[in-house]
Amino acid sequence: MNRQDILDKVQDIFRDILDNDDLVLTNESTADDIEEWDSLTHIQLIKAIEKDFSIRFTSREILSWNNVGEMIDSIVVKVKV
Amino acid sequence: MDINSTAFLLFFLVVFGVYYIPLKNSVRGQNLWLLLCSYASFAIADGRMLPLLVGATVVFYLLGILIGKNNHVNERKASWLTTLGTLLGVGVLVYFKYLNFLIDSFSSLVTAIGFKVSMCTLHIIMPVGVSFFTFKLISYIVEVHRGHIQPCRDFIAFATYVAFFPTLIAGPIDRPKPFLAQLGTVRRFCYPSPDNMAVDGLRQILWGLFKKVVIADSLATFVDLGWSHTAESTPTALWLVALVYPIQLYTDFSGYSDMAIGVSKLLGVRVAKNFNYPFFARNMADYWRRWHISLTSWLTDYVFMPLNIRFRDWDKMGMILACVINMVVVGVWHGANWTYALFGLYHGLLFVPLILNGEFLSKRKVKFEGYKPPLSYLGKMMQTYLLVALGMVLFRADSVGGLVDFVQGMLVGNGDGVECSLEAAMFPKATFLIALLMFAAEWVAMVKKKEFALQLATGWRPWLRYTTYTLLVALYLLKVGGSYGFIYAQF
Repeated sequence: MNRQDILDKVQDIFRDILDNDDLVLTNESTADDIEEWDSLTHIQLIKAIEKDFSIRFTSREILSWNNVGEMIDSIVVKVKV
Repeated sequence: MDINSTAFLLFFLVVFGVYYIPLKNSVRGQNLWLLLCSYASFAIADGRMLPLLVGATVVFYLLGILIGKNNHVNERKASWLTTLGTLLGVGVLVYFKYLNFLIDSFSSLVTAIGFKVSMCTLHIIMPVGVSFFTFKLISYIVEVHRGHIQPCRDFIAFATYVAFFPTLIAGPIDRPKPFLAQLGTVRRFCYPSPDNMAVDGLRQILWGLFKKVVIADSLATFVDLGWSHTAESTPTALWLVALVYPIQLYTDFSGYSDMAIGVSKLLGVRVAKNFNYPFFARNMADYWRRWHISLTSWLTDYVFMPLNIRFRDWDKMGMILACVINMVVVGVWHGANWTYALFGLYHGLLFVPLILNGEFLSKRKVKFEGYKPPLSYLGKMMQTYLLVALGMVLFRADSVGGLVDFVQGMLVGNGDGVECSLEAAMFPKATFLIALLMFAAEWVAMVKKKEFALQLATGWRPWLRYTTYTLLVALYLLKVGGSYGFIYAQF
């Protein structure tokens, strides 16, 4: 699975959880750009991503992300491992 | 030196003149001047505590650099240093704000068990703004540790972020990233400029002054009378006190916040937002997204989120636990008193039904036709207001005993045959009417997505605009209530 596949899959998860089929994710997307993405939906997104990719993030990883790109970086490392 | 005092006006005129005339082309000069003025303002409030503020600033500045250095080289050390800094910040808060309360509570507990103890409390003076500047310091090192910002190498800019005088006493609690970015370039006074930041600031100061002096201070007389003469007040009067107190607290604190934000805009600095029309919230979760935003968003990022992440496998139970802990911290942040802890617990528990029925996570937007909300929305707004008002009885009480007396007075009255000091007829109707007009203006401003209600005047014809300003100034000059300090300055 390459980086773009992961981004596409994460985008599907975002669309499902945030109930917005028009949502388009890029590496630069942040919570400021997406109205429905706040501290509460953030945790639902993380749980869904962890379940879908069968991975587990650490608290530090989750709290350090500045944008979607950094979240994808964490997934890439874990999926490869 | 309250922000609405003549002394502050004179102080600010000197700050403003030097800032924009001799220092207009110097970033470092402007920052240094802001810092000196901030320290002077702090020293005027309480000079004895200046070494604490400066000392804490130096320590956190160095910690920031050390954490930044270790972030990618030695993660363990970076985490350890961040924990140390957080404990230091919380330690300063606990020492100055909670130590005597903890000693008292421990002593009462031990006595209640049956032991005889003799513990003396310490003579501790709480530094002004300690709850606000310690939160700024903690926020800074955590943001550096999380990699959201680079450590600030410019000590003058960092110290200015910590001590910035318009927000030092009672917030808003600024975050380092947006604030420090603004100190990187020279601030120019351009009138007229495309965004008219200074004019917008003046307008916001006028609106804040109106809310504080015309509404909050006038309601304060009635509310204070009710709380100081609970035994001699009729139940109806106490219900009115309870129902009107949220309006007093809102106009007092949001009035202060508007002035602090307005003064900052005059200095070319945008600070954090504190209110987003909280009484138009449709449930308690919505209310907390709109009330004291700079505090609640701070706690969301540094308390609620880490807890929620840690408890994420427990589904709704985890979220409930994180919410309750977070809200108790919100309550206790206000001061060392069981009433604040109860206030936090009350709000935490109000989240439980919202989490269980899914409304907490619901992002459904309510669509209005023009300015008219659906009836069901109005009902939810009133229900939320009632819950907020009942919670504020806990907040306003000086002690648990005072709280019990007040609630008893609301429900059954506190005695027969006593001469009433406070009756429902003494309710300040004119002020309440002005408050209703203010809320009507705020409703329109919310629908039009304005930051504060007087921003509506930007699109008006000059005669209407200036008539409105004159009317607000006239109401301010004709104020009927006494003069009261800002409620949040005590926190």
